[in-house]
Order: sequence, then structure tokens, then C-alpha cells
Amino acid sequence: MKEIVVPGDKVDGKVESYVFKEGNSVYSMVLGVMDDREGYGRIVPLNGKYFPQVEDYVVGVVTDVKRGGYVLDINSPYDAFLASRRRYNNGEVIFAKVGDVSEVRNVSLTMDKQLYDGELMEIMAVKIPRVIGKKNSMVMLIKEKTKTDIYVGRNGRIWLKGGDIDKAKRAILKIEKEAHTDGLTDRITEFLK
Amino acid sequence: MGGAKTDLELIKNGKRIDGRKFDELRPIKIEVGVLKRADGSCFLEWGKNKVLAAVYGPRECFPRHTQNSYKAKLTYRYNMAPFSVDDRKRPGPDRRSTEISKVSREALEKVVFLEYFPRTAINVFTEVLQADAGTRCVALTAASVALADAGIPMRDIIVACAAGKVEDEIVLDLCQEEDNFGSADLPIAISPRTGQIHLMQMDGILDEEEFKKAFDMATKGCLEVHEMQKKALKEKYEKIGEVYGNE
Amino acid sequence: METSEIVWEIKRDSIRKMIESGKRSDGRALDEYRKIEFLENYVPKAQGSCLVKLGDTQVLVGVKMDIGEPYPDSPDRGNLSTSCELVPLASPDFSAGPPDEESIETARVVDRGIRESKMIDFEKLCIAEGEKVWTVMVDIHVLDHDGNLIDAASLASVKALLDAYLPKLEDDKLIYTEKGDKLPVKEKPVSSTFASINGKSILDPSYEEERVMDSKFTIVTTENGEICAIQKSGSGPYKREDVEQMIEMALKRGKEIRKQF
Repeated sequence: MKEIVVPGDKVDGKVESYVFKEGNSVYSMVLGVMDDREGYGRIVPLNGKYFPQVEDYVVGVVTDVKRGGYVLDINSPYDAFLASRRRYNNGEVIFAKVGDVSEVRNVSLTMDKQLYDGELMEIMAVKIPRVIGKKNSMVMLIKEKTKTDIYVGRNGRIWLKGGDIDKAKRAILKIEKEAHTDGLTDRITEFLK
Repeated sequence: MGGAKTDLELIKNGKRIDGRKFDELRPIKIEVGVLKRADGSCFLEWGKNKVLAAVYGPRECFPRHTQNSYKAKLTYRYNMAPFSVDDRKRPGPDRRSTEISKVSREALEKVVFLEYFPRTAINVFTEVLQADAGTRCVALTAASVALADAGIPMRDIIVACAAGKVEDEIVLDLCQEEDNFGSADLPIAISPRTGQIHLMQMDGILDEEEFKKAFDMATKGCLEVHEMQKKALKEKYEKIGEVYGNE
Repeated sequence: METSEIVWEIKRDSIRKMIESGKRSDGRALDEYRKIEFLENYVPKAQGSCLVKLGDTQVLVGVKMDIGEPYPDSPDRGNLSTSCELVPLASPDFSAGPPDEESIETARVVDRGIRESKMIDFEKLCIAEGEKVWTVMVDIHVLDHDGNLIDAASLASVKALLDAYLPKLEDDKLIYTEKGDKLPVKEKPVSSTFASINGKSILDPSYEEERVMDSKFTIVTTENGEICAIQKSGSGPYKREDVEQMIEMALKRGKEIRKQF
């Protein structure tokens, strides 16, 4: 059974993210699961909005056209700006990388690619790492078994096209629900048969 | 408050009007994540009090000109439903709710890591559905849990509890009758980890000795309730883990 | 979670397309209600109360009673007033402030359903003709908005009234902590709300469906099989056949729902 931590709980000094230091001790900042596989301790938050980090890939929707670029809704309290010479319209779906996040959280995107047709779904951003899996193993498993084209955004948005889309969506919802439990990979493999 | 006269026997044979010992809390039940639309929520039953707390955020801060470039704007709204009290209350904020909202927000401002979310708003709402004294403590205790449920980073889960004076005795967690006819009420909110005080108010009369006693008692009450807050949060997720088995 | 208007446009197309092929995103039939749960006497201190869960929508109604003066044109009858608060915790779209047009409309439609069905026997609420009558105050408190607030509020209000007791009246003094007589009620009005999407009427719309609909239609029916209130809400127009079809469905479904009281 994985341990659940709450804000203010003391944790091992090795834990690095979602913690704060006070005196000589380290404490959890959030409600999360203590994941200590692979030797190092890690807190995985159980809830929370998406906060853009540099190098994240996100699925955004164009909401405004500006000079030299576009404003994208990236399912976050912060909008993102995409400087691009390509022509996009409001409502179009773009897969892009977070290039920079300023101190006041102005987010710049780069390496944009438009995603045509297809369906958009949203799940909790904190569960996305489980949907991706170690070295993309989980998302590749779903793609293989359903023959659906899938782009997973770290911001909780997933774009799907073709194949057994319904099954792919249900598998993703199942991962979202059971994300912090053990034995998930086996159950998903079973589900996709 | 004010020690109005009553025929009720508030203290009899070392027991209070509802049968409790002087340092005994009313029964408490905490449920986490009870609303679909809110980002985090908590339903708290404390004695006959029923309070619902919900959190939205961090989200875009409107109007834009109220945004703070360096941190999130925290708002707290304490509201009572019209049917929550004996004499129906007209809907909408009154002076009392405004004051409670202010001190409750101030209790949370140094606990939530606001600096992590510049330009956003974190909105806390508490609705008193049934009132039976101590509602501001119940609401803040529930709000704290709702903030944790929403995944908002904090230094601690703060907790609130009150102690007071009834017929020359210092007692913990006043009920309605004790609040109406007692002579002092001291609600506090603390960070259990550090012991620091984030909310304190008092009305009535207490001498220094009595104040210390009441403060100690309220602090003990807070720590007891805090264990229940943690338990409720952990239990919600531990249950899901049980259902889906272990490796 | 809040979603920008443009992202809603994307959802709107896929939801509307589904409805056209007779399907709803939660798997329901077009004329199917979500699961209804009644949590009776939720606020024991009130004279009557009920929390209704209609799918994920949660509405709490409290009934309070007080003694007041009758209206000049009805000196021998008690009074009813209904109000509704869409408190901000129920939805990211609600904000604090004086009641907006949606909360006022909700309160007034629920009120009409109760009043026109003659559910409360107002004459029995007269204490002293021309001087003192009972006033029944119904307060709707929306806690979680997942669509169809009117039906949820109506269900909770009716159930709260069905279970309500007048407070004890002793020598001109109201003793709230003691129960007096049961509130005199007859009739059980049931409200049925339909959303119109691409010409199709779907019963009991969820929040998503309300967001993308053309307009809404509420019909309140009585145990006697009569219609006692109607409200078209929103700008999309209706054809006559559609209205008649909805009335038929409302009478049929209303009968089933009434059994749950």
C-alpha cells in the first residue's frame, strides 16, 4: 500500500519536489502519494491544476489571434503564447512544446503542429504521467491495441483519432481513476484484450 | 454572549447541558470531495453544525486589474443559508459574515503557498447549512480540508476550535445554549505543526488565568480535530487503493 | 474546472452530433431522468428540508415558517414565498452578489408549480383572520450544478413541504424547537424540464447539455394529470408538435417520479 501524505507531513530528506524545508526537516506541500519505487522518494500529487513547465508537450486550443502569433488555451490558469508564422484560426487544436515560463508565468510555446479532426478529451493533469507510462509504455500499449492515433498533452488534454476510439477513451478514463494504485499495467492490458 | 439570564441549568454535576465533560468535543464527521464542480470540497458535521466548504482555483483572476503579479489572490466567503438558523436569515452577506470572511481569509494567507501562482485567484467558499454555535471554526476547518483536496500547496492543514466560559467554568467547544448564555467565547485557528496562531477572536470577559486555560483547552481541541482532518483525507484515497488491489 | 468559450465550441459540436443520432454522453435515453436521491430532513432545525441529488446536481431546500400579516386581498389565507440562491460554490460560473436572473427564474418557476397546483392548503394556515397567518418560506440553496436546477429544486421543495411541520404556537409565542401540526398539503406537483438540441427534446439535461442547447422547456404537472405551470427558458423557438410531445412526456414521466415521494 502506498502511503498518502498531506500538507505538513514530514517526509524523508531525499524527496525533492512538492516539498518545503523548515529548519532541518522536509515536509510535503500537497495531498499526494509517496512513491518510493526505484530507491528515491517522490510525491505524486492527487489533485491540482496544470502548471506549465519548460519541455512539457501540451495540447492547446487557439483562442485569439495576435500580431506575430496566437494565444492558446492550455487548460491551465495561465494562457500560452505561440509565436508562429503558420496560419491558424480560433478553435484549432495545436500540439506544442513549452519553451519558456517567465517569473510572472507568461508561457511561450514552440514547435507547433496542428492536429486535424480527431476528438479531444480532458482528464486530471496529475494523472497524465500514468497515461504516458515509463518510456511511453502505457500510451504505446493503448495505441497498439486500439490502432488509435493519440497525442497526450502534459496539460491533461488528449487528442485521439481513428481506430477503436471508444475503447481507447475508456482505457484512459480507467487509468485516471486508478492512477495511484498498484498492478495497473496488468489491468489495462487485460482491459484492452 | 453577555451572560444573559436563563433558567437553563448549563452546568450540573460536572456535566454540561448536552452531557459533555468540560474538555469534550461535540461529535465530528468529515467527508472529503463531495462536490462535482468544485476543485476541492469538504462536508463537515460538528455537533448539530452542518457546513459545506468548496475551493475553486488557482484560476484566472478577474477582474484583471485586481491580479497580483507576484502571488495568487485568496478570497474567502462565509455565508449562511436562510434556513440554517432559528430565525430565518435573509439571503446575502451581513456585517457578521463579512467580518468572519475577513479573519478566515487572513488565517489562510500565510499558510497557502500563494507565491507559486502569480496572477491567479484561489476562491474559498463556505456555506453554513445548519448552525449550532462555532460555525466560523467549523467552516475554516472544512475550508482547510477542501484546499488540500483541491491539491493546493500549503504549509499545514490549519484547524479551528473554540473554548469559552459558562457559569464560572472554562469549557471546550460551546454549543448553542452555551454560546447564548455563556460569558466568554474564544475561537482560535492554529497550524498544528508549529503551534502558530492564525486566527484569534474573543468576546466576553476572561481574566488572565481563565484566558490561559481557555487557550490551552482550545489548542488541545484543535489538535484532536486535526487528526480527524488528516484521517478523512487519507481515507478517501486509501479506499480507492483497496478496491483495486495491491501488487 | 472552467473552460473557455472556444473550447466549449469544440465540445458543443460533438455533443450535438451525438444527440442527433439519439445518444447522450452519459448513455441515457433522450427521455430518461438521472438517478434521483432524496436525503430527507437534512436540516433538522428547519421546519422542513430535503437535499435532492439528481445525478450529480445537488440542491438543498429548507422550509421555515413564521407568523405574519396576511395580504390585504386574502385576509384568511397564509402566505408562501420562494427564493433561490445560486451560491458560488456550486459552479465556477456563479458569482456572489444579489440574485441574478437565473436564480430568480428558478425560484419563480418552482413557486408557480407549488402555488398553482394548490399544494398548500392556505386557508388552514389562517390563525386570526385579517391579523395573523402562517408564512411559509421556501429557500432553495443550490450546492452542485450539473444541470437541470429547476427540476432538482422542485423535487426538493415539494419533498421538504410534504415532510414539514409548523412550529409549536403557545400563547402567541413561537417555539421552534417543538413540532406543531403537519403543514397541510395535498397534491404533489412534479416538474419536467427538457432541453432542445437540433430540434430534439431531451429530458433532464446535464450541465454540458444545457451549455450547448438551443433552449429549455419546463412543464409542471399534478397528481390529477393537469398542467399547472410552464416556462420556456432561452431563445431557441419551438414547434407546436414539439410542445405537445413534451407535455405528453411530462405527464407520463411525472407520474413515475411522483411515486418516489
